[in-house]
Amino acid sequence: MNSNLKQIGINLILIILAFSVQTCVFPLMPFLAVYPNLMIILIFSFGFIRGSASGMCYGLVAGLLMDLSSGGPLGFHTLIYIWMGYANGIGTKYYYEDYITLPLCLSVLNELAYNFYLYVFGFLVRGRLSFGYYLVNLILPETIFTVVTTLVVYRLFLFISRKLEEMEKRRDTTIV
Amino acid sequence: MKNTRYFLLGLSAFCICMIGITTLNGSLLNPLRNAVGYVLVPIQSGINAVGSSIYNEASNLNRLRDALQENEKLKSQVDELTEENTRLRAEQMELERLRNLYELDNQYMQYSKVGARIIAKDSGNWFSVFRIDKGSDDGIKEDMNVIAGGGLVGIVTDVGANYATVRAIIDDSSQVSAMAQQSGDTCMVTGDLKLYKDGRLNLRYMEKDDDIKDGDMIVTSNISGKFLPGILIGYATDITVDYNDNLTKSGYVIPVARFDRLQEVLVITDLKDAGPELDE
Repeated sequence: MNSNLKQIGINLILIILAFSVQTCVFPLMPFLAVYPNLMIILIFSFGFIRGSASGMCYGLVAGLLMDLSSGGPLGFHTLIYIWMGYANGIGTKYYYEDYITLPLCLSVLNELAYNFYLYVFGFLVRGRLSFGYYLVNLILPETIFTVVTTLVVYRLFLFISRKLEEMEKRRDTTIV
Repeated sequence: MKNTRYFLLGLSAFCICMIGITTLNGSLLNPLRNAVGYVLVPIQSGINAVGSSIYNEASNLNRLRDALQENEKLKSQVDELTEENTRLRAEQMELERLRNLYELDNQYMQYSKVGARIIAKDSGNWFSVFRIDKGSDDGIKEDMNVIAGGGLVGIVTDVGANYATVRAIIDDSSQVSAMAQQSGDTCMVTGDLKLYKDGRLNLRYMEKDDDIKDGDMIVTSNISGKFLPGILIGYATDITVDYNDNLTKSGYVIPVARFDRLQEVLVITDLKDAGPELDE
């Protein structure tokens, strides 16, 4: 029970940390024209490594955090995030440690899906039709940045996830 | 596996419902937002302080070199300005006398303001929304105007106990009712994600005969519902008569506030009192 709480705590801290870096640290760097999207990397990595259910939990917490800290309607980010966590969880059966190509492809797909969602519901509904412009100037740079960041951060997440699994195993053996 | 799927559908339905409900009535969320704010704002302020001090250290070294060069230039400028200052002071006295004579109070000067620090930006690149470290505890209310560097920055859209969210005028959904300071002709300043990269805002809805020229000061208009009158937004540029109807003009505004390196802003604590809502 104790280690269970500890796991939840670690996961929560991870999400809050990623969120703070995303909102406070990236904007301070003047050379970044667009920011990589850490929240997405976090959600899809954990969904992919640990399965649909965990992915969804991650999406839910991260989405609520985003929605409650930005002014928009509640649920706007949560909706896409839980779907993202769930969808990437389906890929778990192809999960193979130290195999980076698939996560990179996933990060591209997730970025495109997320940005497309934002474009359709944030911009298209207000009649901003020039998707091509946004694609070239916003979506593609952000995707590239995110892929590069994934390359670095994914290993870290993998490491954390392994530690968490070890904790889980230790707990199981103590119960038995 | 089945369970997860039901969960997904349930949560999706919940989210969609919440989107609907909170779009109609956003104030329902305030207690929740406040609770999150109490946890997040100290963390964000802390990270922001550490981050900016590191960044400042690094850029200070660079700046020192430039500063030495600049110092030389500035010294000569000081002499010029001292002279100019004496002349202007005399003119200022004259202006004050004339103002009293005309009983023209410059309201812009009289607005009371509160300084605030930007602690977080909206994550991602689509929206220009940021968060400041003052909230309802410091007297911030929704719809208060935010300025920096002598120009309009945005408007408070959402207030928590210890934070407030500000939508910048460069945000794609921002619209400010404005006018040319000289002629008083009204127009509309709208943000556009595309133009923002060139440091511009859209200037729209001017009649063909309106007296607005390139270089005119564009200020917030008297008839705006939320913005106080007479706050400088920027300078008009590239004004052309619209080709398709030949009746209206449009152009661009170069904003005065520098949005790329905003750190501190001033919140004007006076609210525009537009009188009771005009219902028919």
